[in-house]
Formats: sequence, C-alpha cells, structure tokens
Amino acid sequence: MIPDAFLTIGASLLQAGGMLAAAPLLRTAIKKMKARLQNRQGPPLLQGYYDLAKLIRKEPVRSETASWVYVAGPRVYFAAAVAATTLVPVLVAVAPLEAAGGILLLVGTLAFGRFALATAALDTGSPFGGMGASRDMTIAALAEPALMLGLFAQALAAGTMNLGVLVRALVQQGPSWHPSDLLAFAGLFIIVIAETGRIPVDNPATHLELTMIHEAMVLEYAGPDLALVEWASAVKELLYLTLLVNLFMPVGIATSVETEALFVALMAWTGKVFLLAIAVTVVESTNAKLRLFRVPELVSVSLGLAFLALAIRFL
Amino acid sequence: MVGLVAVGLPAALLIRLLTVAATLALARRARTCRWVALVGSMLASLLTVTVALEVIASGLSVEGVLVRHAASGIVFDYAVTPLSAWFLMVLGVVAIPTALYSAAYFSHSVVASRIAVVGTAFNVLVGSLEAVFTASGVVAFLCAWEVMTLATAALVATEHQERASRRAAYLYLVMSHIGTGCLVAGFLVLAGQAGSLSFSALLSGHVVSGPLRDGLFALFFVGFGVKAGVIPLHVWLPEAHPAAPSSVSALMSAVLITAGIYGLYRVCGFGLGVPDQNWALALMAVGMLSAILGVLYALTQTDLKRLLAYSTIENSGIIVLGLGAAMMALAHDQRALATVAVAASLTHVLNHAIFKGLLFLGAGSVVMATGTRQIEQFGGLLRRMPWTGLFFLIGALSISGLPLLNGFPGEWLTFQALLLGFTATPGLVRLNFPLAGAMLALTSALAAACFVRAFGISFLALPRSPAAGSAHESPLLMLVPQAWLATLCVGLGLVPGVALRALEGVIVSLPGLQLTSPMAEGAWGMASGIGSFDHVVPGIFGVAVLSALAFAALLTVRREAVARRVPTWACGGDLTARTEYTATAFSKPLLMIFRAVYRPRRQVDSLADVSPYFPQEVRYRTEIEPTFERYMYAPLVRLVLGSARGMRVLQAGSLHTYLAYVLVLAVILLIWLGGTT
Repeated sequence: MIPDAFLTIGASLLQAGGMLAAAPLLRTAIKKMKARLQNRQGPPLLQGYYDLAKLIRKEPVRSETASWVYVAGPRVYFAAAVAATTLVPVLVAVAPLEAAGGILLLVGTLAFGRFALATAALDTGSPFGGMGASRDMTIAALAEPALMLGLFAQALAAGTMNLGVLVRALVQQGPSWHPSDLLAFAGLFIIVIAETGRIPVDNPATHLELTMIHEAMVLEYAGPDLALVEWASAVKELLYLTLLVNLFMPVGIATSVETEALFVALMAWTGKVFLLAIAVTVVESTNAKLRLFRVPELVSVSLGLAFLALAIRFL
Repeated sequence: MVGLVAVGLPAALLIRLLTVAATLALARRARTCRWVALVGSMLASLLTVTVALEVIASGLSVEGVLVRHAASGIVFDYAVTPLSAWFLMVLGVVAIPTALYSAAYFSHSVVASRIAVVGTAFNVLVGSLEAVFTASGVVAFLCAWEVMTLATAALVATEHQERASRRAAYLYLVMSHIGTGCLVAGFLVLAGQAGSLSFSALLSGHVVSGPLRDGLFALFFVGFGVKAGVIPLHVWLPEAHPAAPSSVSALMSAVLITAGIYGLYRVCGFGLGVPDQNWALALMAVGMLSAILGVLYALTQTDLKRLLAYSTIENSGIIVLGLGAAMMALAHDQRALATVAVAASLTHVLNHAIFKGLLFLGAGSVVMATGTRQIEQFGGLLRRMPWTGLFFLIGALSISGLPLLNGFPGEWLTFQALLLGFTATPGLVRLNFPLAGAMLALTSALAAACFVRAFGISFLALPRSPAAGSAHESPLLMLVPQAWLATLCVGLGLVPGVALRALEGVIVSLPGLQLTSPMAEGAWGMASGIGSFDHVVPGIFGVAVLSALAFAALLTVRREAVARRVPTWACGGDLTARTEYTATAFSKPLLMIFRAVYRPRRQVDSLADVSPYFPQEVRYRTEIEPTFERYMYAPLVRLVLGSARGMRVLQAGSLHTYLAYVLVLAVILLIWLGGTT
C-alpha cells in the first residue's frame, strides 16, 4: 500500500507533466486548423515543441534597465500556471491537489501569475511593456467577475466549490441540459477567449503596437524567458478548455483508476478539447478583432449570461 | 500571567500618561523626547497586546474600573471582551512596528520643535483607540472617541504651514463631529430607554423595538460609518490620511477605520437585537459601493498616499460587506452562515491592518527618499531601495488578494459567505449575494491592476525624476518594522488557520452566533464551516508552486551563465524616462471604460509660434469629477452656510435688540406655562 501523500504527489506530478506535454500541441493544432481555414498549409503539428526547444537553448537577452522582477516574472507566471493544473480534474474525476483548494484558489493562482508578468513587463522601461500590462490587467479585471459568476453557477448547482467534488457530483447527476448550463457555458466560453488572448479580444499573431495586448506585455522577452511565457500561456489555454469540458460535459471521465477507464477518459478528453479547439478556431477565423473599448461590451454579455444562469437555476 | 491580565490595561494607560508627561517635559530635547514618546508607546502597546492575546486564548472577558466618581455616579470602567481583544490585538500588531518606524522617521520628517506635540498626539491616539475598544460604558466610550478624533486631527495638521493639511484636518473634524453627533444622539436615546449607561444593559438587544430601533440603527450607522470611511461618508479620508506623517497614516488607515468597524459590530450588528433584513441590505449596498468605487478612485490617483487611502475605503467596504452578509444571515436565522461571514469580515480587519500598515510605511520610506508623493516622479526605486521595494511588493501582492499571502483568506471567506448566502436565503433578496460576489471579484481584480501600477511605476524601470535617481535606502530602524509586517503577510497567508482558530473564541462570544463546525483546519487550512462546501490549504499549494518554480529554474539555469544585458529598444530613439509608460497612461483604459463613474475631463493646450502643426509645448491636463463632493456635499455646505447667513439677521449687534429678544421670549414662556397649568 502506497501512502496517500505519495499518491497525491505522484498524481500531481503526472497531471502537471501531462498538461505541460500536451499544451504546445493544442496551440499548434489551433494554428494549423486556422491555416487550413485560410487555405494555407500551416505548421507541422510538432512545431510548438520545436519552438520551445529552440527558445530554451538560446541565450537569455535581457534589458539592462531591468531588475530581478523582470527575471522572476516569467518564472512565477509559469509556476502559477503549472501549479494550477493540479487543482483541476482532467482524466480522472479527482483533482490531484483537491485537498489544497477549489475554484477560488484556482482563479487566485492564475491572477498571481498575471500579476507577476504584468509587473515584470513594466521593468524594461519600454512603452510597449507598460501598454501591454495596462491592457492585460484591464481585460482581466473586466473578465474576472464574469469568470467567477460562471463558475459559481456550476458550483452552486452541485453544492461545492471544490473542483474534484464538483466534477464527481456532475458525473453522478448524469448529463444535464438545463438552460442554465447552456447560458453559463456560453458565458464562460467568451471569458476563456478573453483570458487566453484570442480573437476577437486579442490577436496572438500580431505585433502591431496599436492592437497587441498580451504580446506587447511579453515583447521584450527572449530565449528561455520567452519559452517559459509561451509554454505557460499554452498550459493556461489547455487548462481553461479542460475546465470547460469537465464542468459542462464530464462524459467519459474516469471514476476509477483502471487502464480501460483511463484510456476511454483520455480519448473522451482529447476529443472534447479538440472540439472546443475547433470552436475557438472558427471564432478566431470568422471574426475581426474588436477595438479595445468594445471588449467591455463583449465581456458584459458574458457577465449577463452568467448572472441569468444563476438566476434561472435558483428562482 | 493572571495578575498581568488583570492589571494590564490600567498599567498600559499609566505608562501612556507617564510617557505623555515625560514627552512634554522633554520638549526641548527633540531626540530624547522622540525616543521617550515612541518607546513608551511600544511598551504600553506590548502590554495591551498581551492582555488581548490572553483574552482571545481563554475566551474570558477581563473587566475592571478605572475611575469612579461617586457624586455624579459616573464610572469609567473597561471590559476586554473577546471582540474588543481582537481589535486591541490588531491595534497592537500595527502600533508597535509603527512606533519603531516613527522613531527614525520623525527625525527626518517632523520639525524638531513639533516632536513633543506629535509624540504626545501619537500616544494619545493609540491610547484613546485602546480605550474605545475596551470602554464598557457610554461616557467612557464617547470621551475616548472624542479624544481619538482630536488627537488624529492634531496629527493630520502636523504640517500646518501647508494649507492642504489645515484643510484636511478641518474637513476631518467636521465630518467626525457629524458622526459623533449621531452617536451622542443615538446613545442618549438608547440610554434613556434602558435607564443605564453601561453597555451591557444598553446593548443587550432588548432595549428598543419597532421604528425607533430602525431610527437608532440609522444614527449609529452614520456615526460609525464616518470613521469606517465608507462611501458616501468617506470624503475626509483621502484628504486626511495622506496629510499626516506616513507612519501616522499607517496607523490611521490600518486601525483608525477599524474603530468605526468595531462600533458597527458592537452596536449595529450585535447590539440592537436581531438585525432587520433592510439593515443588512443597507450595509451590503454601502459595502459594495465602497469597495468598487474605492478601488476605482484608487486606480486613477497619482499621489501614492492618496492611492493607499482610497484603497483603504475599498477594504473597509469589503469588511462592511462581510458584516452585512452576517446580518442578513442573522435576519434569516442562518447562524452557521453568519459565523462564516463574521469570520470573513474580522479576518480581513486583521489582514488589512497588516498589509495596509506595511504599504503606508513603505510609502513613507519612498516619500522620505524622494521628497514627493507623486508616482510619476518615482521610477527605478527598486535598485536604490531594494528592501523597501521587496516589502512594498509583498504588500502589493497581499492587498490584491492573491493566494499564499494574507489578503487571500479574508476575500476567500467573504466569497464563501456570499455563495452560501445565495443558497441559504429565500426570495429575491438572495440575488443580492451573487451581485456582491461579482462586485467583489471585480474589486479584487481592479485592486491587482491598481497595485501592479503602483509598484511597477514607482519601483521599476528608469527613474522619472532626479530625486528618484538619487534616492537612498531607509535606515535599518525603518526597515525592521516593514520586515516584520511583511513576514506577517506571508505567514498569515500560508497558515491562515492560526488567525481563524483565534477568531473562533471571538465568534462564539457574539450573541446569536455559534460554531457548527470548526473553520480552521488545523493551523494550515480554512474551511467554510458548512458541510464540505469548500476548503483551502495554502501551504500545500505553496509547495506545489515552489516545485513548479524550481522546475522552471532548472529548465533555464543552463543558459543563465551566458545571459546578456542589452539596452531596451526604444523604437530607434534613446530610452529615457520620457519614453516610459506613465501611471496616468496605465489606468487610462479603465478610466475610459468606467467613464460613467469618473466623468473625466481633459484639456490639451498646444502652444505654437508659427503653425499649429509645430507646437513648442503641449500642456495636458486631466481630472476626474469628484462626484460626491460636488453633488452631495457642496449642496449640503451651501444649505448650511445659507441658513447660517439667514440666522445672522438675528444677531444684529445691538444691545436693545437682544434685550427685546429676552423680553419676547419671557412673554412667550409665561403664556405657554400659563396655558399648561
């Protein structure tokens, strides 16, 4: 019998490692699908890994005006994203570190990472960093209430804020097509797009100063520092999609640790995340980027949807 | 130990009186005077903290009598109840480091001739706060309350050669006395009904009922609300807090506002019987309004101390929101829920005091080093003031409510209370809770933006002024208190259970509350106290984050040896402070998005000789509308002044007219008396 502590540590390491390994693939897959929609070939599926490997081997080039905060920023951002993966059930209806906390800790952790990166962006003295940090914090601030309300709608339906317990309760309830689910899902989908910096909120492919948000914030980073930022952003994106998948359609998730169940769960998870990725791609390919000052309108739609979801479920 | 607890409070008071006497006697010797005043204050605070901790640990109140005046029957007695002890402890935790900091800070920032007055006022302020928290009768409470107000006003007016300081002190006095007036009226009515002046009789909850009770609630709410700095009673706070010397600002923001909170707890929450649902709604509404507007105003400030003052309003709002949720729960007889909400609010009282104290001390160091409070004049301070910068960063992370630091437990518990409240209360009123939850989420995210800005613009990149370029680190004596508070920020963030466990005794001492299940999961964790709704153990998660951090470091360590430093690319030009992003620019998007709240105005003047396309100089001016000052207080002031002017007609200055008044009054009285008999 293995002690529980080792089991927890092992599961956490496995899950964090798995998410780290899978994340670059998701990003490249979206890029590839987007390219196909535009009648281009797109990068090979493993391009994300090549990029990371190359960046990590490069020499770190840093601004001479920057202090230790600049070096710490990407590392804290990375650590927050990776640690956050242990709070979410992925393949099994158990979050490895569900003993540590639930939704609020998850949201707080991601906010910690963002705080670190935005602060670091101000350190080089370049106006781009400041601009990016300002815009990123602005959008995050607007998205936060909608994100929280959307998650609360699901949490209150199941009577718990712990993601592991929550997913188990959802599995037990069976699939639900309550209108509130659909509203909350739609609301959260908008927020996921805003938080992961995709069109119509932000354009991950642009380096035009008037339009970039996240890219402006990390513009000064190079080499291994940039690799950490890119990797963490990918992990964050995968994490958000997983959260959506498991909170709204936990079909196929393993309730026991048997090889067969795990295999089914892996297939189901991959399939569902892939479907969501297609949705993200389609949204990104068919929409134009919104003006910065139009984003609040989009986010308030999401806030409204989440509030409605709460209201119709409980009134 | 028992003996010390019994005499601790009178002894502390005695030490303070002796300290004040010695300070005034030594007024001519600035250095000695400073040390006597502040060491005395620390000793007295140490005593009260010991008493407070003992009361919290044992859960038993300590009572005693200070002065008894036989002829009038007035008794000045004190009672350290667990609730009082909690606030006493909060006071001590901040007052001791603040006093130590002041010992060095006052020598730079207070003119030597004023040291005696400032030292005295400092002692009187802390002493009167202790008295406010422990008074067990109306007379003692109101006396302490007034002394507290006056001492603060004296400290705010420390730099009375400045017009702004005088104005701030005056505004503070006016607002405080509106509040005190409400309190006096409220207590008089209450005492009249109860036939006693002692709190135990007055605040037993059975004294008044019906509309009178509602009226009394309103009076006390305004009275204590002024001190708590909740919007719309906040107008004095952003003026007064920055005007005082920074260490006193720390004390004011961290603890003075909790005097108002203490009053709200003692009287409005748990002193007038089971709260009415409408009271709870009022508190929640005011709490939400204060939180959101406080942080929005904080975001646009360019004066570091004003920014912190507005953020105090925000946190006061969060604390009041928690209390409001607790009262709502009590109104619906949801005791377990009320327990969670009270825990949330009181935890935040402690944690806010610690991180706000830390941030104000940091701001004091920065102001001392640069000679200005304008964020736009700072920049690059982290290199010149590495320790102050580190501590300020810890404070900034804490105040943003991020996990692993001590801003998180309070906000976490408040969220628990709001979510549980949604499921526990009936009817449409429950929609209030998710609304408050969304507001709280927005508030904490905006606070993060606000403090990224405050820290980033002040401490990072290039110096924005010569003063910032030649700044020096503060002396050790000013760093040690900051280090202590920063340690508490991290410590209470990692082991929130310690504070919560101490709080359990306080909670059970409040009427109507009971602990159904423990909220502290050992020292390390917190649970929301109802079923398995939610729990959090930041320590475990801290290990996970550290491991991930180590992994990130491992990934990149190989190339660290060849790291290169190059100039930042500034679009082809030279990188100077002029090309850096400013604090004003940083908050501009939010200013635009929330323009309905700010109603910003801007004015751009382009001065050109030849052609408007080649300006010699561009002047940019922007301001946000002071909504409450302009639309609420300005008409009020006009009304008061107008009626005063009207009444001046009576005061003609002629003796004959005055004699006529007396005659007329006498005749009217005779007629009236004749009519009644």
